[in-house]
Amino acid sequence: MAVDITLLFKASVKTVKTRNKAIGVGFDTSKDEILKKSRPKTDFSNRAKDVITNITRLKDFLLKHRKDYINAGGLISSEYSRMTDSERDQIDQDAQILIRTCSDAINHLRTEASKNALSAQTKEHQGAVLDLTEMYLKSVCKLYSEQRAIRVKRVVDKKRLSRLEPEKRNKLVDSTSPKTPVISSTEQVDEKAIQDESTDKSSTEIQDNNVALWENGKVEDELSPEEIQMFEQENQRLVSEMNSLVDEVRQIEGKVVEISRLQEIFSEKVLQQETDIDNIHQLVVGATENVKEGNEDIREVKILL
Amino acid sequence: TESRMRHMTCIVRERQLRHYGHVAPLPDGDVLIYDRFGQDIISPLLAVKELRDMGITLHLLLHSDRDAIPDVPAIYFVMPTEENIDRICQDLRSQLYESYYLNFISAISRSKLEDIASAALGANAVTQITKVFDQYLNFITLEDDMFVLCNQNKELISYHAINKPDITDTDMETIMDTIVDSLFCFLVTLGAVPILRCPRGNAAEMVAVKLDKKLRENLRDARNSLFTSDTMGTGQFSFQRPVLVLLDRNLDLATPLHHTWTYQALVHDVLDFHLNRVTMEESTGPENSPAGARPKKKNKKNYDLTAADRFWQKHKGSPFPEVAESVQQELDTYRAQEDEVKRLKSIMGLEGEDEGAISMLSDNTAKLTSAVSSLPELLEKKRLIDLHTNVATAVLEHIKVNERSNHNGGVLNSGTPEDKMRLFLIYYITSQQPPSEVDMEQYRKALADAGCNLSPLNYIRQWKAFAKMAAAPANYGGSGAKAMGLFSRVMNTGSQFVMEGVKNLVLKQHNLPVTRILDNLMEMKSNPVSYFSNFVLDNSFYPAIIFVVGGGNYIEYQNLVDYVKGKPGKHVLYGCSELFNASQFLKQVIMHKCH
Repeated sequence: MAVDITLLFKASVKTVKTRNKAIGVGFDTSKDEILKKSRPKTDFSNRAKDVITNITRLKDFLLKHRKDYINAGGLISSEYSRMTDSERDQIDQDAQILIRTCSDAINHLRTEASKNALSAQTKEHQGAVLDLTEMYLKSVCKLYSEQRAIRVKRVVDKKRLSRLEPEKRNKLVDSTSPKTPVISSTEQVDEKAIQDESTDKSSTEIQDNNVALWENGKVEDELSPEEIQMFEQENQRLVSEMNSLVDEVRQIEGKVVEISRLQEIFSEKVLQQETDIDNIHQLVVGATENVKEGNEDIREVKILL
Repeated sequence: TESRMRHMTCIVRERQLRHYGHVAPLPDGDVLIYDRFGQDIISPLLAVKELRDMGITLHLLLHSDRDAIPDVPAIYFVMPTEENIDRICQDLRSQLYESYYLNFISAISRSKLEDIASAALGANAVTQITKVFDQYLNFITLEDDMFVLCNQNKELISYHAINKPDITDTDMETIMDTIVDSLFCFLVTLGAVPILRCPRGNAAEMVAVKLDKKLRENLRDARNSLFTSDTMGTGQFSFQRPVLVLLDRNLDLATPLHHTWTYQALVHDVLDFHLNRVTMEESTGPENSPAGARPKKKNKKNYDLTAADRFWQKHKGSPFPEVAESVQQELDTYRAQEDEVKRLKSIMGLEGEDEGAISMLSDNTAKLTSAVSSLPELLEKKRLIDLHTNVATAVLEHIKVNERSNHNGGVLNSGTPEDKMRLFLIYYITSQQPPSEVDMEQYRKALADAGCNLSPLNYIRQWKAFAKMAAAPANYGGSGAKAMGLFSRVMNTGSQFVMEGVKNLVLKQHNLPVTRILDNLMEMKSNPVSYFSNFVLDNSFYPAIIFVVGGGNYIEYQNLVDYVKGKPGKHVLYGCSELFNASQFLKQVIMHKCH
């Protein structure tokens, strides 16, 4: 294992100091040390450090509010969630602004660094520092997009589940109302409602409508058994139609989410390629120039021969 | 825990690169400065990309022109030699960097430390020297279970240097000290005090005695010992000590000359392979440059064969025909995946045109997502396939060259002069009885006619005579002759059967002498050779470390690995003072004559 000999080194420094004093060789340390303390850091490193501190601040900010932001509890009753949607929107917005600022700052530093006439090693170092900073920013962005994706998913789920609520309420109304005179049919409708209790608000609505119509109908006219049957058949048909529609919609939702993810990936790749394409463009321009000059030289030589 | 050794070196590196105590890895960038020793240690383990990921923005040689980058911390990883210390002092005076983290590969002396202190005082840079470490990393880890002592200046401790007839006592002392220093560093890094075993009466014993002394001296000073329980990490070795078996190359001179058929050993034998890097000339395609144009320079291409290369890790010990098959398999799998992606691409092009296509599309969206996200992995796979195709092709080229004109019987009619010499030497070394004088004359003439340099013959004769005198020669168990017979059969039956012959050859797994010694120790068999030991041996040692003084090679290493595969729970680490392939070994033996 490695042995830390820093203390040993400091001790050596003391030894050398005392030895030098004894010999009479002195280093004028006091004045220089004060000057040394204020070694100017280059502009580049200061600004790079600023960007990094900002990214770290963003990361801490996102992590601090992550739990509240995601908040598994309280899907149905929103009183228990600690963060309102507007607060979440605010977080999203702030994060986006900060990410954009940091990314702009990095690009700015990059163009500046390439313009400055510095040594090759310093240039390489600065380029690498900016690469590292960009990677850091990307990882923090991932944090942000992850929790945002979770939020979107939860909203979608919430919407889907919230459709159940009117159905529940309607069921309660149906089962507790003793007032409808045609009890058997209502009970029949009730049973249907309980059987189809899966997901459909629309089916219950239709059944409600049917009940309402029924109640209206009963005032005016007794519906014949054929009409009852017809209505029942139509009920069934509508229920199954709605079910399949809902399934399709759900599938499409999933696909859309995936497509948006894909688009994200693609746009990233395209942006990456932009620099490559620029390079190729430069090279091609250079090559054309060279070929032109080459042709001219050959022409000259031809004339001479 | 055989990978512990490698982990150790990496973790140590990681720690030093994270400035030991610097809490969160922020991407503010460090500069890494190394000398050639440091470079040799780092390059088999970490690629440039991995350095970047650790936050190293620049890596430079110590003795190069370096510009001042005054706002960056600099990490030094160098040997504490005179020139290096001078250069460090110069850097301090020129105020090149913001802060300095000095890591010395082996321990620095007090006086040199004071030299740096003095320069730091003069340059007012004492506060800038943030940390100083003795790293005890003076060895090179090539694999999880294999290491060599050094690469720079390896001729100082080569087989030739140790065994040349006119060696002086002082030279020998220096060589032994160098070897012991490296072995000591290795043990410090491993975190264990081993039980030492070695046969008597050769260089290995000298190393063992010195190493034992050094270990005792260190342990005696309990406060400053490098092997205290906290440095030993989990204390895994506190009850079970590893056994370090020191062997001398001279106990087995046949193995370095063997031909082999496993991938890694073959690459080392026929290509330019060291420190896990293969250097080859780019194979030039059909000449399509117009007549009269300047001849194209052949480019040298480097391939790094690392732990991240999954194909290499899986097949480096496999027989060569298996490797060729596997490359083909990987290529086929890759092509299938590529076609899948292409197919999805064309389906995407149908979007909006066809009702039926849209439903197909929605099924494939998920597939496309997974295809796209697996693209980087696919590309890496392709790169590795190309790499191994090139390497395997180069190896095959060499093999083909070596087996021309082998129609009329007799092994001596096949291969290059060097191959002929190798085969004959193996036969000579491993035969129980030396051939008669008459036969020898015939052999000499045949070899000379074939263009061989005959000096190795003399050396081997001497060695054989001496070996017979000193101790029972290594028991080859007739494996040499067997291998010889099979090999000549292979060589005599035309090129298209070479591969088939290989399969036959490989089925029999022989234990080479070194492996046999390990087997004896692990199985507690009695063995005729008496051993120096600094501890009463009990059966629960773990792991075994085999170190060959005088040089080793991949054939031996592979043989040990294969042996241990059949013994679950047992682990072996292999080390040697240097690595050479057969032709390099022959060159060293030839050098003996000149002295």
